[in-house]
Amino acid sequence: MSPTVVVRDVTKRFAHTQALAGVTVEVSTGVTGLLGPNGAGKTTLLRILATVLGPDGGSVRTLGLDPADARDRTRIRRSLGYLPQEPGFQRGFSVFEFVDYVAILKELTPARRRHDEVRRVIAAVDLTSVSGKRVRALSGGMRRRVALAAALLGDPQLLVLDEPTAGLDPEQRLRFRELVSKAGEGRAVLLSTHQTEDVAALCHDVVVLHEGRVLFRGSPSDLAQRAAGHVWFAEDRDPRARIAWRTGDGAHRNLGDPPAGAVSVTPTLEDGYLLLVGARDEEAAA
Amino acid sequence: MTWHITPELARGYADGSAAGAPSSSVEAHLLACDACRGLVASEAPTGRLDSVWAEIQEQVDAPRPTWVERLLTRLGVSPADARLLAAAPSLQVSWLLGLMAVLSFAAAGAAASSDERGLRGFLLVAPLVPVIAVAGAYGRRIEPTYEVTQSTPYPTYRLLLLRVVAVLSVSVALTAVFSLFVDAGWMAMAWLLPSLAMVGVVLVLTRHMELPVAAGSVVAGYALAVTAMASRNEVVVVALAERTQLVSLSVAVACLAVVVLSPARRAAFRRFP
Repeated sequence: MSPTVVVRDVTKRFAHTQALAGVTVEVSTGVTGLLGPNGAGKTTLLRILATVLGPDGGSVRTLGLDPADARDRTRIRRSLGYLPQEPGFQRGFSVFEFVDYVAILKELTPARRRHDEVRRVIAAVDLTSVSGKRVRALSGGMRRRVALAAALLGDPQLLVLDEPTAGLDPEQRLRFRELVSKAGEGRAVLLSTHQTEDVAALCHDVVVLHEGRVLFRGSPSDLAQRAAGHVWFAEDRDPRARIAWRTGDGAHRNLGDPPAGAVSVTPTLEDGYLLLVGARDEEAAA
Repeated sequence: MTWHITPELARGYADGSAAGAPSSSVEAHLLACDACRGLVASEAPTGRLDSVWAEIQEQVDAPRPTWVERLLTRLGVSPADARLLAAAPSLQVSWLLGLMAVLSFAAAGAAASSDERGLRGFLLVAPLVPVIAVAGAYGRRIEPTYEVTQSTPYPTYRLLLLRVVAVLSVSVALTAVFSLFVDAGWMAMAWLLPSLAMVGVVLVLTRHMELPVAAGSVVAGYALAVTAMASRNEVVVVALAERTQLVSLSVAVACLAVVVLSPARRAAFRRFP
């Protein structure tokens, strides 16, 4: 099956900042995670894929179409759901009115069918009981779900989600995971996040961005395996460790090149990610 | 219980083909008979039940249009367009109150002044009111859902024009009402054509820049022109001069032609149900 999105050597610059410096990525059916520190270029890449922003160089093909072409761009937008990092709301609108407003922008007609679709997506994010409430009266987590409902309108083939779990409590995050996992059945979902647990739980594929470049592309287990043999516990912080922290039971989890005799433990996705990004930061500093 | 509903009667009642009197008997009987309720339920066509339920749901929980939406719909605007208009930042009550406050100060100053200075102040402020209102119709920094809107297939220019027309109508009407309090005959309306010309220029400029930036540029240009004229004490004279009115009218018409005739604007004039 051909990938839903193919990005080749995409560059983007804002004044003195090179946000993307030759990014090549493919996104296919299922959930693909996009990890990276702040300023890595995740949001810029997502905005380009959501057709909100154009790249300076390189090429993007979405659903086999070229977003640089106005007609193709409109066709892509008909098959796209986008949850921005900071979704805005017409706060005077109720949940139903807001989602209906976005449904109008997505050209869902006639009104009766549009309203049915609005009810469907509101039910999908479990907000039917508050569909008549003003958006401004909802909690942050509920508002995120309203924005996700709007992104799900029209059953899009590509979902672009920018940090959908930011600011959510653990229970809300779990609920979101369930929603995103369902959304990834039969369509391509690109999920940007800082939460490595979300990527480990949801994604079949992960891309790590750092300073506008792709540091890693592969499966979450491959990324975790990058840290195999580089994670060990000790009573104290090991001076040779690149990163170390004291865990709840008092032992120190060390990441880096272990000393002789250290017993390695099974690495997590977070270990792999931290070592990968940490190593690149050290190279840059050197 | 002396009788029960036959399968034929149950089918006729369920599909709506039974006559009035038998239907009434069935309804009365169903209140007391479990078995016949089950029979009628089994005969009810699923599609019809679904459509009846959907109709009920639509009536019960479809959003009630706001007063702005109802007003616009009465004026012939489609309900979908009315919803898009109702979300315009500069059609919100706070914006309109702000504009009214500015206008009331200008009009009160003109009404209280015994010489031409009051009228001059009003004519300086009034043309800007529609331009400033238009600036708040749509834009990256003022539209809460700008990012999402940009990712939808809805033609941005159509949304922008819809908002501009609505905001312009309201702000021109407001300014005209306040002009009535200025005791200067038709002179109190001398702001109208220059204002429409400025809005026209703003719309043409939106081909190259965002709406608020375009409006800001026009306001800045206006301020410079007024400052230059003020040094020669000719503001009111210029506003009144037939030539100024004619130039304003020409600019407004030319800008309207550019907007309407431009092929790139075709999508903006599509009708959405």
